[in-house]
Order: sequence, then C-alpha cells, then structure tokens
Amino acid sequence: MKMNRRDFLKVSAASSGGLLVSLSLPGCSSLGSGDESNETSWQPNAWLEINRDNEIFFTLARVEMGQGTYTGLTTLIAEELDVHPEAIQPRFAPVATEYRNPEYSLQLTGGSTSVATSWEPLRVAGASARSMLVSAAASIWKVDSRDCSTSDGQVFHPNGSDSLSYGQLVHLAARESAPANPELKPRSEWAYIGKQGRRLDAEAKSTGQPIYGIDVELDGMVYAVVSRSPRHGGRVRSFDDTEARTLLGVLDVFEIDRGVAVVADKYWRARKAQNVLKIEWDNTDALAVSNSEVFAGYYEAANTDAGESERSEGDFDEASEQAERVVEASYEQPYLAHATLEPMNATAHYHDGAMDVWAPTQAPDLGRIAAARSTDLSPDDVTIHTTFLGGGFGRRLSNDYIEEAAAVAYRIRKPVKLIWSREEDTRHDFYRPAMLHRMKASVRGDQVTGWHHQIVGPQILNWYVRNAAPAQYPWAPKFMYDTLGKVGLMAEGIATPKDHSAIEGAIEYPYAVPSLDIRHTHTDPGVPISWWRSVGFSHNGFAVETFMDELAHSLGKDPYQFRRSLIDHEPRHLAVLDRAVTMADWDQPVPEGRGRGLALYRSFGTYVAQVVEASIENGEIRVHRVTCAVDCGQVVNPDIVRDQIEGGIVFGITAALFGKIDFEQGEVQQSNFHDYVLLRNYQLPDITVDIIDSNEAPTGVGEPGVPPVLPALGNALFALTGRRQRQLPLTAEVS
Amino acid sequence: MAVSLTVNGQQRTLDIESDTPLLWVLRDELKLKGTKFGCGAGLCGACTVHLNGQPVRSCSTPVELADGQTVVTIEGLAPEDQMHDLQKAWVEFGVPQCGYCQSGQIMSAAHLLKINASPSREDIVASLSGNLCRCGTYSRIIAAVESVVEGRQAYDASQEGA
Repeated sequence: MKMNRRDFLKVSAASSGGLLVSLSLPGCSSLGSGDESNETSWQPNAWLEINRDNEIFFTLARVEMGQGTYTGLTTLIAEELDVHPEAIQPRFAPVATEYRNPEYSLQLTGGSTSVATSWEPLRVAGASARSMLVSAAASIWKVDSRDCSTSDGQVFHPNGSDSLSYGQLVHLAARESAPANPELKPRSEWAYIGKQGRRLDAEAKSTGQPIYGIDVELDGMVYAVVSRSPRHGGRVRSFDDTEARTLLGVLDVFEIDRGVAVVADKYWRARKAQNVLKIEWDNTDALAVSNSEVFAGYYEAANTDAGESERSEGDFDEASEQAERVVEASYEQPYLAHATLEPMNATAHYHDGAMDVWAPTQAPDLGRIAAARSTDLSPDDVTIHTTFLGGGFGRRLSNDYIEEAAAVAYRIRKPVKLIWSREEDTRHDFYRPAMLHRMKASVRGDQVTGWHHQIVGPQILNWYVRNAAPAQYPWAPKFMYDTLGKVGLMAEGIATPKDHSAIEGAIEYPYAVPSLDIRHTHTDPGVPISWWRSVGFSHNGFAVETFMDELAHSLGKDPYQFRRSLIDHEPRHLAVLDRAVTMADWDQPVPEGRGRGLALYRSFGTYVAQVVEASIENGEIRVHRVTCAVDCGQVVNPDIVRDQIEGGIVFGITAALFGKIDFEQGEVQQSNFHDYVLLRNYQLPDITVDIIDSNEAPTGVGEPGVPPVLPALGNALFALTGRRQRQLPLTAEVS
Repeated sequence: MAVSLTVNGQQRTLDIESDTPLLWVLRDELKLKGTKFGCGAGLCGACTVHLNGQPVRSCSTPVELADGQTVVTIEGLAPEDQMHDLQKAWVEFGVPQCGYCQSGQIMSAAHLLKINASPSREDIVASLSGNLCRCGTYSRIIAAVESVVEGRQAYDASQEGA
C-alpha cells in the first residue's frame, strides 16, 4: 500500500464524508444503472469501494485499538477480492445499522468477536465483488467468465496475457448483479489468510502520525477540562470561578451534568484555571462505600441469599452429604481500572444545528446517543468520526467522555477538545467489578463428586443499558431513553440477551464432575462498573482454576494429571493442555528456587492453557517464564494472534501483581502510574505462544490470553511457598 | 515569555507562559502530535523527546528549560520521508498494537543506540523500562532493537572486511 504517511489522518477524516454516500446504498448490489459517465467509483456493498484509479477502500466496521482488526479484517476481504491487503485502504465506519456487530445488535467492538463475526460476511463481500469484476471483463472479451482468472487487482483473459485492472472494470461491474452464492476459496488456495502479514497500521504508529482521538486538530479549536465529584454521583452545589476567569486564555467556566467545565484557548491554561476553581459538592446521592464494606456486604449477601441457579447438574447437596470431606475456599478480587495509555478524550463541534464528534470509541452508535443525551440534539444530528484508539480494553465502550465533550461544545459553539488527565482517568473509570467467589467441592476417595461455585457481585448490563438500549432504537424519542434502559433490563433474557457478565467462565465449567451447582448472588455496591478485558472470565478464571489446583493438592495429585483425568471428553481442551505442559517441560524438575503453576481455560470460544514459572526475590514476585498453547480455530494472522495472547498475558500478570482500585468513603485512592502500577519491560517474563493448527471456525484472541495467567501464577506461588493466596493482587509474603 | 527552540532542525519562536510543559508546546503550538500525553508526571514515557540529545519527559519539562535548546521529536528522528532504522524495524517486527506508547519507546531506544552502539539485551531492557506499554509489546520492542543492533554490527563487519 502506498499510504502517504503525512496524509494518514486526512484519509481517515475524509472517509466520513465519502462514506455518507454508501449509507444510501445499504447492501446494494449495483450502483445506478446506465449512467456510466458519472461512475468514477463503484460500491458493490457496504464494505467496499473501488474507483477508476484502482483505489480500493474498505469500510472497517470494527475499531482498531491494538487488537488488529485493521489488518485482520482487511486480510479477509483482500483474500477473496484477490488483491494484496496492503493495496486496500481501510477507513473507519460511520454509524449505520449495516455496521452493527451481529452479536450485540450494536455497533460495538468488544467480546473478542471481530474476526468470528466478520469471517463469513467479509469473505463473501470480497468474493462477490470479484465475481462481478470477472463477469464484467468476460463480457468485454466475450469469453466465459469461468475461464478468466484474477490476481493482484487484475482480471486475466483466458489467453493468459491480456488483462484489465479492477479500476478499468468499475463502470461495467456496477451493472452486474451480485452473485447469489459466491464461491469462497478453499483453504489450500489462501494467499494471505493464515500467512505472516505485516500490520497495516505499523508504519503510521511507528512514525508518530496523528491518528488518535487526542491528535484531532480543527481550525479555531479550544480546549476543555472538567472537574468531577471525587465521589461518584456527587453533584455541584456551588462553585466560585472568580479567580479562574481572570486567568489568561480562559473563555468560559460552567456547570455540566458531571461537574464544572473550564474552557480555554490552550490546554495548559484550562488546567491552570481548573486548579484555582473552588467547587462545593453536594454528596447527598454520592457513593460512600469503602473497600472493607464492599466485601463485608458481599459476605453478608452470600450468607443470606443462595442466589440464582445458573447451572445445575446432579444433586450437589446429596453429593456433599455423602462426601467424605468437603473442600472449601473463598476468593476475593478487587476493582480494576482499564488504564488505556491514551487518556479519555473527545473533540466536538456544534455548528448549523448539527454536531460532529471525533473520538476514540469502541461503540460509535452509543457515542451518538451520549452526545444527544447531553444536548438538545437528536442522534440523527450527531456524526461520530471514529479515530484510532490508544488502547480500549472495554473502557471506551462507555462514552461518558463524549457526553461531556458534547455538552461543552453545545454551549461554547466552537470546536472543542476535552482531555482527561491521568488522575481523572484513573478515578473516574467504570471498573472491573470487585467479586467474591465461594467454592465448595465434595470428595469421596480420590474423586471429586460435586462442585459448588457461588459468584457474589454485580452484573454489568445494569450499568451499560443506559445508552445501549436507546442505541438499538435510534428512532425512539429522547424522553424514552431512561424507559428503554429500564425495559431493556426487565426484558433481559427475552428482548435483550441475558447478562452473562458475572457468570461467564463459571457456568461453562468443563471438567467431568457429576454434580454441579453454580449460582450468582446479585449484589451491587454502587461502584460504576463496566467491561474490562475478558470481563467475567477475568475473575471466574481465577476462582475456577485456583480451586482446581487446591483440589489437586488436596487429593495429592499432580495438577496436570488431575485436570487431564477430568477433561478427556473435551479434545480441544486436552490438546492445549498437553501442548502447554510439553512446552513447559512439566515432567522435568522446576529450576531451583522457582514454583510452577498451570491453568486451563476457555473464553470467547478460544482454548488456552498456560504454565507459569515464578520465584520470590528480594521481597518481590518475579515471573520468569510463561508457556502458552492456544486454539482459536483457523488463524487469519498468526503474528497478531501471538501478540494478542502475549499482550493478554502481560495484562493478566499486571492485574495479578499490582491491580487494585481502593475506595475510601466513595473516593478512589489511586491516581497515576505510581500507585496504579503497570508491568514494565524489565519485569517481562519469557513468553512462548504456540497455536494449535485447526480447521474450526475462528474465535477471538483479544481477551482469552488474560484469564488463565492469574490462577497459573497463583498456583506457581503455592507450589513455591505452600501458602495459598485467595485474594488478588498476589503478594510476595511466603507465610 | 518569548521562547526560542530548535525543533527537528527548525528554529521556532513563540510567546507562551514559561511553565507550559514542552509536551503541549510541541503538540498544540508546533502541531507535532507524535509525542504523546500519557500521565503528565514523567511515569509512562509516552512523551519522551530528545533535549540536547538527552531523553526527557516532555510532559514534566517546562518550556523555559528548553529555551535556546535543541529538541528532536519522533517526527524529526529521520530526515523527511525517510525512516530511522528503529522505525523500519518496528514495522518489520510488527511492534505496535494500539501504538500509543511507541513514539516514546522509539525515542528512548534511539538515545540508547546513540550512546551505545552494541548494547546487550540487559542494556536494552534497562533503558526501555521507563516506557510503559499497556498492550504488552515489550518482547517485540526488544527484538526490534536487537535486530537494529545486529544489522549495524553486520554492516560494520562487512565494511571492515571490504
């Protein structure tokens, strides 16, 4: 691809205008009929546009936050179109129903679903366009289209020497009707899928191109910062902006829904004015909870409410009555922040009765609702321009920062960029919920006869439905937004999907234990929560795989052989388990001073086994080695799969060693990277990732690397010290 | 105050409060967006630039400290329309995921290579440990820097042999 580096942002920005055209052509198979002279460009479907200059544009309906959609999804369409992926220019989709994620009926990127849900439609889109181009060429040459071939954006005559470029055929292809069932290439003919391919965004990201939300630059743009209540839910009682308004460059100071906005001509001037702003908060409805109360509340709920049965097999009560002994454990897991390296930001411009918003968001259609909600505008008046994201991890599924930017822009009537500080980003996140897990297993002889798992904590949909429900019904009047949110919740499992956020990864317990009793006791301390890379799997994985390890040790069995004996009915689990332990030299003694731990876990349809070697040196946990086997079905880009799994492992180790958000009287105690710590380069273990060869449909890789590493590391520390850690983060204490 | 800087070889003069962090001067006054805001406290390294050849955290460097000095950013690491060896290696090794930290990573690595032509793996890891990557691209970062070191050593060896 000859992507002009300097023009990268221009290309991304221009796409929004160009794409408005394709909105009028939902799923269209032929553009216009007859008027060739005006046809300089052809849009065979919602994803592709090819013009006479042989430029091929691909509308990317999933955002790029590092997980590789920009490259992976482009590869899918390139394969069937028969062009090199680097010959295609991806551009981010505007909000439109065609671009919704079929998994959620929302235009969002999450749940490790991008490749899985695009695998068929994008290849079909590519194949369909290719077939129409071939038919067009065949009709010119008066030959049978089946005798023509394609390669690198050219259709070749059966004589093998004459050819026409796709661009030359655009005007005629537009008159062809789309094939009903375009034939997809067999795996043996793939040129790009499954092969090593460069990341298409690597050059822009290695040369400092202005591609992120925070880089957006508009003429006459001003800057905003917002002071928010230190306690979630607190409101402004009064504020004194007398001094702030005297400072250089300050344009306005005013209250918005979440706090007080300061607008200035420069970012640093806005920050300085914010520092002298005096705000009194009304904490009547503010969060007042502290960590200790969260868990006291969880234990009380667990004791008084057995919770909803989420999966039941056999009779656990009977199994435990007949048991020789019952093994029990409780696991506590903290709130976690997302800590994307690009802080929350959005740029908005209200003009001529409409609003444009440029934002790094995982859910542009929810962003439109967010902007409408905080102004008098309807969603149709709002255009979202999605940028590259400097990290997502679920944080940018919530569009609170768009709500703020839109409110400011609506008032200030100038282009305005809102930037959060790192401290604001840490303290006003929607957190991975703190959770309590109470486990019991009944044991007879050397057999586990029953498994009981009580999950205690909130579920996320309650927090998320506020903007998600209206986004599914963008025609609904705004006064109905809150009602839609409530109906969405009431109809959970009927009109909207059941919220699995608390129980996923617990209810799919895969081991052959005859009696299962898996329950969720719902209790919500009021802390704002959201999706966090691997969501429910992130805490259930630790509970399930730590307790499996406890059981193995309790029965005096090798943790690998114990799992293996209970999983031989699940060949894909078994294959990753065997591969990972072989890679880890499980049958060899552990190097002196280290402990070795194992975890096996399936999430988002992907099977992962990991073995961790760790030690404790100078009062600190050191992770030395992680070996990992992954089965994610067919692989689009092996490099990106390895990167995502490895990145997930780093993300998980970071959480296991350091991750903790504390609340005191409703206030978050952490603020920046000195007290919300991320793993650094010198702490990186040696990580090896092996991919199982597969013919199965592809599944996600963005998240599944995360969950198993937390229990595998905890299990390694138990093997090292004999001390079982049942709270996260893990500590280096040995007794 | 009036501030005069040489940025990526160009003389730039502007009137700005002396306590404004160099980061915001580069990004918003000089429109060089490659240098990133991550933490504002010198903890993450996303804002790393070279000030008189030394790597500094531009988010925590008041512009007055850069007055009359020479600044190089990711945009000026290589001559116009060329890429630095490290940038080429970053593309070749597919280092970036979200990519947000990579300007800072590359600036730190570039300084290392300037002061040490043949750094060991330990040297590389140590000099890059001030740069956070939330996506976890550390192993590819190390591999990319090592490839540049090896490539240069091979080149030097071939020159000696010639």
